[in-house]
Amino acid sequence: MLHLCIKAENTKLRRSVIWIACFLIPIIPAIMGTFNYLQNLGILTGEWYSLWTQFTLFYAIFFYSPLIALYCSYLWRLEHLDHNWNVLMTMPVRVSNVLFGKLFIVCKVTLITQAWMVLLFVLCGKLSGLPGLPPAMIYFWALRGTVAAVAIGALQLLLSMCLRSFALPIGIALGGSIGGLLINNMGCGLFFPYSLMLMGMNSNSYDDKLAGDTWKFLLAVLVYFLLFIAISLRILKKKDVRA
Amino acid sequence: MKRQHCAAVEFRKERHLKIYLVPLAFLILLFFWCAFSFRNADAYDLAQGYTYLLFQIPMLNCILMPVMLAVIASRLCDMEIKGGTLKLLYTVQSKHGFYDWKYLHSFFYLLLFSIGEGLAIPFCGKIFGFTEALPAALLLRHVGILLLVGAVVLTVQHFLSLMSANQIIPLLVGLMGSFLGLFSMYFPPAAARLVLWGYFGAFLPFGMDWDKDTRILSFYQVPFPTTIFVLFLVFGILLYLFCRAVFLKKEV
Repeated sequence: MLHLCIKAENTKLRRSVIWIACFLIPIIPAIMGTFNYLQNLGILTGEWYSLWTQFTLFYAIFFYSPLIALYCSYLWRLEHLDHNWNVLMTMPVRVSNVLFGKLFIVCKVTLITQAWMVLLFVLCGKLSGLPGLPPAMIYFWALRGTVAAVAIGALQLLLSMCLRSFALPIGIALGGSIGGLLINNMGCGLFFPYSLMLMGMNSNSYDDKLAGDTWKFLLAVLVYFLLFIAISLRILKKKDVRA
Repeated sequence: MKRQHCAAVEFRKERHLKIYLVPLAFLILLFFWCAFSFRNADAYDLAQGYTYLLFQIPMLNCILMPVMLAVIASRLCDMEIKGGTLKLLYTVQSKHGFYDWKYLHSFFYLLLFSIGEGLAIPFCGKIFGFTEALPAALLLRHVGILLLVGAVVLTVQHFLSLMSANQIIPLLVGLMGSFLGLFSMYFPPAAARLVLWGYFGAFLPFGMDWDKDTRILSFYQVPFPTTIFVLFLVFGILLYLFCRAVFLKKEV
C-alpha cells in the first residue's frame, strides 16, 4: 500500500511548481557564493572548503528549512483544498502509509535539491579554477545535511498537516532557522531541530564541527524523526476531519 | 460599499486567523537576536549600542521581511482564492476598491511590525543599559524606511498572492527575495541597487569599519541617499499602479 501512496504523491507532483523551487533556489547561493568567494580570494584560502562556506553560509542557516517547509506545505495544501480530507481519510489505506508516502516524497525532492546543489558546487568550483574535485568530506557534509532534512521534513509535515495555511509553516521554518542559529551558537544545537541543518552541513567552518560526534547528530535526527512522526500519526488517527 | 465598511469587512474576514501573531512572532525573534548580540557586551559596545542596532537590524530585516510579508499577504489573499469568493465580492464591491483595501489591510500589519521594531530598539537600550543617547531622528528614519521598503515589497507579494491560484509562487518569491536581499548586501552598491529586497539595507545611517589588528568595530555616519530614496519612492508608486492595473484586467 505504501508504494501506491508514493505513486499517488508522485502523480500529484507531476508538472508542479515545486520543481521550480527545487532547481531555482540553489542557483542563488551558487552564483552569489561563488561571486563572494572570488571577491575575497585574499582571505578565503581554503580552496574547496572556502567555496563550501560561501555556498552554505546562508543556504543552510536561513533557507534550507523554509525550502523543505515549502515542499511540505505544497503536499498538504492539496488535501486542505475543497473536500479532499474526506477523500483522503476514507481511502482504503492506513494513515501511516499516507504520511510516509508524503515523507518519502519530501525526502526525494530534498535529495534532488541537495544533489543539484552539490553539482552546482562542483561546477562553480571548476569555473573558479579550483584544482581537482572537492574533498570527500564535503560530500559527507552534504549527505549529513540531507539526513537532517528527514527530521525537519517530519516536523514540517506535522505543521502543514495541522495548520491549514500554506504560508504559516514556511514562516515558522524561517523563525525556527534563526532560532536554530542562536541556539547552535550557545552550544545547544542538538536540542533544537532547526539547528540540525547548519550543524549537518558544517556551514561557515573549514573543520568538521561534529568530528567524532556524528553519532550524537544522527541520534538527534532519529529522536526528532520518531517524535514528530508519532505525533502526526496520533493526530491523524484520533482527530476527526475538518474538511 | 462605504469606506469604513470595506475596512470593517476585511477585519471581519480574518477574525479567527490571528494574523497579528505573525508580526508579533517575528518581533520576538528580533528581540532575541538583539539579546544574543549584547549578551557579552562591554562598556565600549554599550557606548555604541543604538548605532550597532541601527546598523544590524536592517540586515536582519532583509532576511525576515520578505518572508513575513509573503506570509501575511498570502494568509489574507488566500482566503479569497481558496474560497473562490472574488466573483461574489465584485457584486458588492468595486474591483479596485477590493484590491486597495486588501492591500491596506496587509499594510496595517506592516505598520504594526514597524512601530513594534521602532519601540523594540529603545526597549533593548533600556534592558541592556546602553550608555549612548537615543538617536531619535535616526530611529524615526529607520521606521520610515522600513515602512516604505516594506510597502513596496508588499506590493509585489500582494499582487502575486491575488494572481496565483497556488500560493507556492508568492512564497517562493518571498523566499528568493530574502536570499537575494541578504546576498545583495555583499555586492558593490551599484549592483545591490538592482535587487528590490536589498533596499531594506540600502538606507543604512552608518557604515562600519573593522580593524583587523585591534579587532575593534567602529561606525561612521553616512549621508542620506536622497536621490535613491526619491527614485525608489517613484518606483514603488509606479509598481503599485502597474500591479493594480494588471489585476483589474484579470478575468474571474
